[in-house]
Amino acid sequence: MEFVISHLVKSYGSKQVLKDVDFVFEEGRIYGLLGRNGSGKTTFFNCINSDIDINSGEFYFRDEGGEKTPVMPEDIGYLVSTPTVPEFMTGREFLKFFIEVHEEIKPDKTIDEYFDYMMVPEDDRDRLLKDYSHGTKNKMQMLLNIIASPKLMLLDEPLTSLDVIIAEEMKNVIRNQKQGRITIFSTHLLDVAVDLCDEIVLLHNGRLEPIDKSNLGNADFKEKIIAALKDQDDA
Amino acid sequence: MLKEFKSTLLKVIHLRSIIGYNGLVYALKKTPLIGKILPDKLYSTMFLKVIYWVFHVIVEVFKLFIGKIAGLGLIYLFSFFLTNLYIDDGMVPGASKASLFASFALLFFMLYAVCGLLLRRSVFSWTTDKEYMVFMLRMNARKLNYTLFIYDLAKLVIGYLIAGIIGAIVGAPFWLWLGMPVLAVLIKLFGTGFQAFRLRQRRKRNKILKLNVTGKIILFTLMLMVLPLVIMLVANGYYIPLPVMLGVAGIMALLGVWGYIQCDKFDSIHHRRVLHDNIGRNEMAAYTSKPDSTKNFKKLKANGSVNENKKGFEYLNALFLKRHSAMIVAKPIVFTVIIFVIMGLIIAEFIYLYYQRFGADNCLNMVGNNILNMILFRQYEDELLPFVADSGGVFFRWLAQSHLLVMLMPIAIADNTFKSTQAMYINCDNCLMTFSFFKQREKIIKLFDIRFKQMIKIHLAPAIASGMFANLILFYTGGQDFPFQYLLSIVVCILLSVCYSLIWLAMYYLFQPFTTTVNVKSGIYNVTRIIVSCVLTVIVFIPSNTFVLTLVMLVFTAVFIFIMRKLVYKHAPKTWKVKS
Repeated sequence: MEFVISHLVKSYGSKQVLKDVDFVFEEGRIYGLLGRNGSGKTTFFNCINSDIDINSGEFYFRDEGGEKTPVMPEDIGYLVSTPTVPEFMTGREFLKFFIEVHEEIKPDKTIDEYFDYMMVPEDDRDRLLKDYSHGTKNKMQMLLNIIASPKLMLLDEPLTSLDVIIAEEMKNVIRNQKQGRITIFSTHLLDVAVDLCDEIVLLHNGRLEPIDKSNLGNADFKEKIIAALKDQDDA
Repeated sequence: MLKEFKSTLLKVIHLRSIIGYNGLVYALKKTPLIGKILPDKLYSTMFLKVIYWVFHVIVEVFKLFIGKIAGLGLIYLFSFFLTNLYIDDGMVPGASKASLFASFALLFFMLYAVCGLLLRRSVFSWTTDKEYMVFMLRMNARKLNYTLFIYDLAKLVIGYLIAGIIGAIVGAPFWLWLGMPVLAVLIKLFGTGFQAFRLRQRRKRNKILKLNVTGKIILFTLMLMVLPLVIMLVANGYYIPLPVMLGVAGIMALLGVWGYIQCDKFDSIHHRRVLHDNIGRNEMAAYTSKPDSTKNFKKLKANGSVNENKKGFEYLNALFLKRHSAMIVAKPIVFTVIIFVIMGLIIAEFIYLYYQRFGADNCLNMVGNNILNMILFRQYEDELLPFVADSGGVFFRWLAQSHLLVMLMPIAIADNTFKSTQAMYINCDNCLMTFSFFKQREKIIKLFDIRFKQMIKIHLAPAIASGMFANLILFYTGGQDFPFQYLLSIVVCILLSVCYSLIWLAMYYLFQPFTTTVNVKSGIYNVTRIIVSCVLTVIVFIPSNTFVLTLVMLVFTAVFIFIMRKLVYKHAPKTWKVKS
């Protein structure tokens, strides 16, 4: 399965944020969407998630036989950097509700097993979500997306402002979940992208450009990317 | 020291002018239409900054005149007027004019000063400029607070000395002219010192150093209650002799000295902590003119659980209602109780009138018979029938008989659907909209149906109460015109309530107009709201026979629900998005 984006354009008034996005994402890989602050990473995700209308272009899934399938809302899991959760529910209540409304899901774990998997502390599970820490809210958001098991996972800077331990736990979960789906992980932190992702894609000047993955891990790699971002910005 | 004071003060004034000017430009740029024309260069236009600065100085001087000069000047004038009145009427034999004048002036001034103390912002309060100065520019909080305090005291002394000219013109003694500003300073010192003392005590007990706003409000309310008493006593010729007033002033002065000592003991760490513990965002909110009103929706407690049989959206809705019951259910319940209390009072009045005329035995008979009449849908029967010839009674009967759509008014008052949709958005939908399942057509309509039923249930009691109220009027003014009119009146009220709730719930789903601060950000929603309000206002005046109205309402409600559900099903997935 591939996720294909073809000539996607998005403008706000006269400002063209996404100029001509054309890219193919492959199943089972984590793509690091790298771009500077304000480069349009969140806009790109919002377009894919149909939160905002696009001006032109299309995106779809393509199977091995080359057949196109439209992207449905249930195909997408979207994690935002500042998660909002229904504050009037406890973690357990929210998870119960989430599993119940996804009738198509046949959970292979109990609620507590899911909590254990995501390392949600026991004393947090029956507290209102409004009292959760930022990190635990992030874990909850991730857990819900794991349960929903979408074909396409959009992660919008989900590790921002997490402590070292939780960030590491989240990275491991993302790595473990990459099989059978396409994961696009946006970040403006180069180190995180290099550490976590199989492929790196630059979003700059409104376009997506792949970076040769064979260089990933080279000492010069970071400098090359920084130079590329600077060059394009100056261009 | 003076140099340090001057330097600190200049920094504060400079920063305040920047914040004030930028805040003004920001507010202008946020104004519809004008905002789009204004360029960003406005932030750096020196000419406009100078104009703002001149305007700012004028406002400062104006405030000085209004608050200080006008305040004390009026006290002098009022004291002068009273003194002449007392002397001319011979109400205080033996008292000199000067001492009487001073006594009145001191009394009113002390009341005025204490009220001012309670109303004005505390020396330790948080402001944006203070926050920047202390936490970003690393300024000493104590030095900053006391510089501003001294600046305030200086304005106070100047203002009161100028006001003293009015006192001198109307014959105030020289010592009073000089003494008033000193007394004002000492009262302020006492107030500030008392706060410092209280805050230090809190620090000792490891409590947050919150400023006590509630205490100030209570004290101010007490002062407002004392004022009429003082006015009444003064109007009746009473006055407090000057030596007593001077004694009180002396005590205030001593308290002022105590206050000074307390202020001196309040070190810079205390000042910084108070500032930190009282940080708010009210000033920025004032600039944006759209305050964050989510606070009222965030008072949640994990109280209990819901029936385990409920699943999915039923479970979500039950939990939502349980955790928001005070917010959503309280208004309809209070309305229902009020209607029943009014009905109770009306019934009690009828019984009382009857009792007065015919005595207890007959009264018991009458009550018994009429309870039976009520149950059997008959009319009220007694020998009084006081409302039959009464014009008010005739008018209300006319409304209940042929203008039942007027019941839309109480139903609209009792309805809480709009606020409920705000709570739904801010505490539930806003978060769930980030999940794809929540935006699926089938799921949207499923939750819509559950919520619609919930709204009907919540508003059922006030609708029935409104119908019963209309029936009570009918009952006391001749009974029903045709069989089952009582019943149909209640049915009409319920249907009106159903339609009213549906309008606001469907509008929420169709436009999703709220931002993350529950402000409305949708022009089309606002326009629709105005149109709906106008239509509902017109409908209220339409005359209608209750029987025909019931039939029409039954058909209309069914069609309306069908259409609204179709619209929500079709359009809500497109609008079901978070607005920033």
